[in-house]
Amino acid sequence: KKWAATRPRISSTRLALQNFDMNYSVQFGSLWPSIRISLLSEQKYGALFNNFSDIQRMTQELECLNAVDFIWESQKVVQDLNSAAGQQASKPAVSTGTLAVPAESQAQPHPCLSTLISPNIRCYIFPKGDISLFPPARPDTLGILGYYLLDAASVLPVLALNVQPGDLVLDLCAAPGGKTLALLQTGCCRELAANDVSISRTGRLNRVLRSYIPPNICDIVRITSWDGRKWGDLEANTYDRVLVDVPCTNDRHSVMEEDNNIFKNMRKGERQMLPMLQLELLIAGILAAKPGGEVVYSTCSLSQLQNECVVERAVELLNIQYNIDVHVEDLSIFRRLFQDTFSFFPNCRLGELVVPHLTSNFGPMYFCKLRRVG
Amino acid sequence: LETLTSSPTENQRPVNPSHFGKVVDSFLDMGFSHAQIKELFSVQPRLPSQARLAVVSELLLLGLSTDSILKAIQKNTELLRMSPERLKNRADLLRKFNFQEGSLNHIVIHCPSIFTLPERRIEAVKDLLMEKCLFTVQQVSKILQTCPNVLLEDLDDLEYTFQFAYYRMGVKHREIVNSGFFQTSLADIKNRTIFLERLGLYQTPDKKGQTQIVNPKLKTLIRASETDFVTKIACSTIEEYEIFKKLLAREEEQKWNEDGTLEVE
Ligand SMILES: C[S@@+](CC[C@H](N)C(=O)[O-])C[C@H]1O[C@@H](n2cnc3c(N)ncnc32)[C@H](O)[C@@H]1O
Repeated sequence: KKWAATRPRISSTRLALQNFDMNYSVQFGSLWPSIRISLLSEQKYGALFNNFSDIQRMTQELECLNAVDFIWESQKVVQDLNSAAGQQASKPAVSTGTLAVPAESQAQPHPCLSTLISPNIRCYIFPKGDISLFPPARPDTLGILGYYLLDAASVLPVLALNVQPGDLVLDLCAAPGGKTLALLQTGCCRELAANDVSISRTGRLNRVLRSYIPPNICDIVRITSWDGRKWGDLEANTYDRVLVDVPCTNDRHSVMEEDNNIFKNMRKGERQMLPMLQLELLIAGILAAKPGGEVVYSTCSLSQLQNECVVERAVELLNIQYNIDVHVEDLSIFRRLFQDTFSFFPNCRLGELVVPHLTSNFGPMYFCKLRRVG
Repeated sequence: LETLTSSPTENQRPVNPSHFGKVVDSFLDMGFSHAQIKELFSVQPRLPSQARLAVVSELLLLGLSTDSILKAIQKNTELLRMSPERLKNRADLLRKFNFQEGSLNHIVIHCPSIFTLPERRIEAVKDLLMEKCLFTVQQVSKILQTCPNVLLEDLDDLEYTFQFAYYRMGVKHREIVNSGFFQTSLADIKNRTIFLERLGLYQTPDKKGQTQIVNPKLKTLIRASETDFVTKIACSTIEEYEIFKKLLAREEEQKWNEDGTLEVE
């Protein structure tokens, strides 16, 4: 119980925090302290349900824990929105309470959830304020694990990708594979190309897939270890859906762990090159999409420089250099659907950002959807 | 045997009336009211009145008010069973701390066991505060006056609490003494300090004692009510603070059994 007299001179986590204090207090203003304390406190997990395991047993086990599938719960929001819209039509003067529904969506009932988000994904979480932990998943009789623990916010980019039956899907930066697993849960991928530049990490991805996905389904997955930036040359105009989940400053990790910390002095160059790498990866991802195809860009950073700015620059460059039109889709519906589960930053120029909050300590998770028009 | 085992209210004390009258006179002389004397005698009713008188006189000589004496005896009935010599010794020991007028009353009311604690316990607390924490004699007596509860605390916890203030919070001895720091539980102090620290509103001073932000004063930090602390000092919400406390408690637990492995992306 004594105090250690020696501490590393200035730790990388400390440097990261100093950097964030400087940048994010400007970006988030009075919201920053609450985000800061959440980054520095234990994060919450979600249990990505594995549809390839013993579904009944798993559902029972998770419900016994009092966990709820937040995606299923959001269906209720859709129903509320629909009935609110109906009421609105008859009694135009009545306000809808806490749901801030913009005028145009009040006018017509909401389209069903399945046309907005990827289907069949279930993710269990403990309700707001409940700090219970999930026990590690156990293998069923076939050796398949029942759920995968991840930041629940990281299924949002996959939901936003809105995978449709028969789609050809590319996961450009896939390891260790949380989002790859979620993509496979949809049961919609005709083929899924899962890539990650790091061979050791694709090894891990491989092991994750084998613990969750039966061999016959694994066959539709092609794992590669290429530089994602080259995809535009390798397989242009090929995919219906592309997920570009880029390497980033990984804000939560950077303030908590010394290991593999991108704020280490020797990684300064790498850190400064991140936005450029992200831009190149996004452009490659869009080039790999078919015309009409959809791309989701995501990071687990709060930084505008790595989020909105990269998207804006990519749209601009594709237009100028490749003569390709890219449309940035409106995802504000996500904010309404999942506002009970996540804390969304209300002022994103483009895309949506989940900010950590002690009552629902998920994220950071930025995601933005782009449609390749021509 | 019948009279000895009967209940105290019906118990007719086997003392002769004139002797009893003299005892009452002595208590009246000391400044006790009739009502106080009645209460005084209802504690340990079977005790010989001579012993009762001896203990009370010794306490009076320490400068305690009749009120404090009564409260102390009611809170710690063992006091009446102390031998006059032991009580004298303890009184001598307490005088050494140089308590100011009235402060002993406070201690006696809040921590009447100060008289019945073994002497080595008091010495051990004093030694810890002086030798390990480097407080001066005056500071130690001020700590005992304002926070007599330190006498009852586990010595390791006490040292850790001090170290938390000194090293982690960067507070100097004088401020620790003046803020009544030791009245607050370590858990509360930790919760509040780390809450502010993670919000970016508290910083451990560097070697030169400097910080980039202005830390709240220790006294304000520990004396504010929970609501005031959360809403005015931390500018946060009770909901967040409640969750934070639970999370921090779990973190501290996990520090001691480090093995948790989660799949993290
Ligand atoms: C945020 S992680 C991906 C997490 C993953 N999508 C998941 O949900 O589990 C970013 C990944 O990008 C990979 N990466 C870095 N540079 C790359 C590049 N040039 N091409 C492809 N992948 C790259 C890293 O190895 C890292 O695994």
